[in-house]
Amino acid sequence: MENVIELQHVQKSFDGFQLKDLSLSVKKGFVTGFIGGNGVGKSTTIKLIMNLLQPESGTVSIFGLNYKEHEKEIKQRIGFVFDENVFYENLTLAEMKKIIKPSYKNWDDNLFAQFVKTFELPLNKKIKSFSKGMMMKASLTIALSHHAELIIMDEPTSGLDPIFRRELLDILHNLMQDGEKTIFFSTHITTDLDRIADYITFIHKGEHMFTKEFYKIEEEFAIVKGGIELLDRDTEQEFVSIRKSNHGFEALTANKGRIENIFGEMVLVEKPTLEDIMFYTKKGAEQYV
Amino acid sequence: MFNLIRKDIMLQKTTLMTMLPLLILLLTLERSFIYIGLLFSMAIIMNAFASDEKSSINTLLNSLPYTRKEIVSSKYIGALFFVLTIVLTIFTGNLIINREITMWKELGLIICLVMIFISFMFPFSYKFKSQYLLTAVIVSFVIYLLIVNLFINNLNDKIRELVGILLTLQSSQLYLLIAFSVIALYVCSWLLSIRIYSKKVF
Repeated sequence: MENVIELQHVQKSFDGFQLKDLSLSVKKGFVTGFIGGNGVGKSTTIKLIMNLLQPESGTVSIFGLNYKEHEKEIKQRIGFVFDENVFYENLTLAEMKKIIKPSYKNWDDNLFAQFVKTFELPLNKKIKSFSKGMMMKASLTIALSHHAELIIMDEPTSGLDPIFRRELLDILHNLMQDGEKTIFFSTHITTDLDRIADYITFIHKGEHMFTKEFYKIEEEFAIVKGGIELLDRDTEQEFVSIRKSNHGFEALTANKGRIENIFGEMVLVEKPTLEDIMFYTKKGAEQYV
Repeated sequence: MFNLIRKDIMLQKTTLMTMLPLLILLLTLERSFIYIGLLFSMAIIMNAFASDEKSSINTLLNSLPYTRKEIVSSKYIGALFFVLTIVLTIFTGNLIINREITMWKELGLIICLVMIFISFMFPFSYKFKSQYLLTAVIVSFVIYLLIVNLFINNLNDKIRELVGILLTLQSSQLYLLIAFSVIALYVCSWLLSIRIYSKKVF
């Protein structure tokens, strides 16, 4: 399968934070959700993918091309949405369109008009008067009006009400129908991903933990609950991390089958949510430091 | 890249629309249009510069299909466009209102002065942000005053004299030399700004 985004052994450090040997790939034609806590490097990774930052070492390639030689060509094919307003506040959406339109070879005025209509966006109101939801719709309209093959979004659902979050996910779902587009978006609202993501990429403290197909996560990971007497030095090794209480323990495993073999009927095995996985992974990472 | 220049013109449209009539009005009252031309050009150019300084706008411009080289170059070419607009307005204004043809030397002087100022201000602003320019201007003004008071009492007269000499020079070779040096300075500043900007983190 073709990779649209490929990061290989990327290194980038700032004060008190670094991406360590980050390698990840995003498959063409699918929606990949990019998850991780606050300040673990999601935005930095997205900036590296957009060439807003350059890695100290390692390579970034988009559509199989590198930024050094093909910067404009790559950016022609990307649509982007950021979580902050990146437009000129004092302009209206119509004026903003006039500025952005000539940048793209494949700009489609009809498509733009169509989105403006669906989203009920005012064309002649200043952008600074837009609400958070309208802002997001406006960004999305601009991002989708030039037939981008790759859509990159940084926290598109943060600060949006649940109704619009669903609408947004429906729109993204419709976009994916032709199989030519790829969506990569970061979020910390993991329930959004249940509806739409095909793949999940999880990073923690600048390190790539995993990229997996969504359904496989449910097959491999499990929340295990049982009595505290089941735990000893050997069995504890089987878990990503464990939360103990007076009543027993609750733990995350990355190998559901093995746990079922070891403990059999003695434990309760449940389906984990993405939040569970994030929580226990963070806990596990802290334990072994 | 010309889209970026067009964008700057679009953004400065209202400023231009208010400043150009004001400029013409001033021409009827005041004859020392070199200073006015310089002031107006700098105001519009730095205004255009400042409107793109927010980090969110830099995120936008760098995410659109432009290279950093193009983003910087658009400012340098745009600056020339703005100064030419001002100079052209002065020329036509003088022709219509004062019924006189402005000497090309005086217009050339405005262009040269603007280019010299820009050559210092753009790299400075790319490095530190233009809001510190005011501080820099005040500091240089204080230094200027100190020089005037302590060392060369008649610096102002000398500058006026120099301008007078420059405008009455007969040797076209010397003009060529000046023009050439200014262009060289401008190009160096341009390259320096590209260097500074390509290392920036937003």
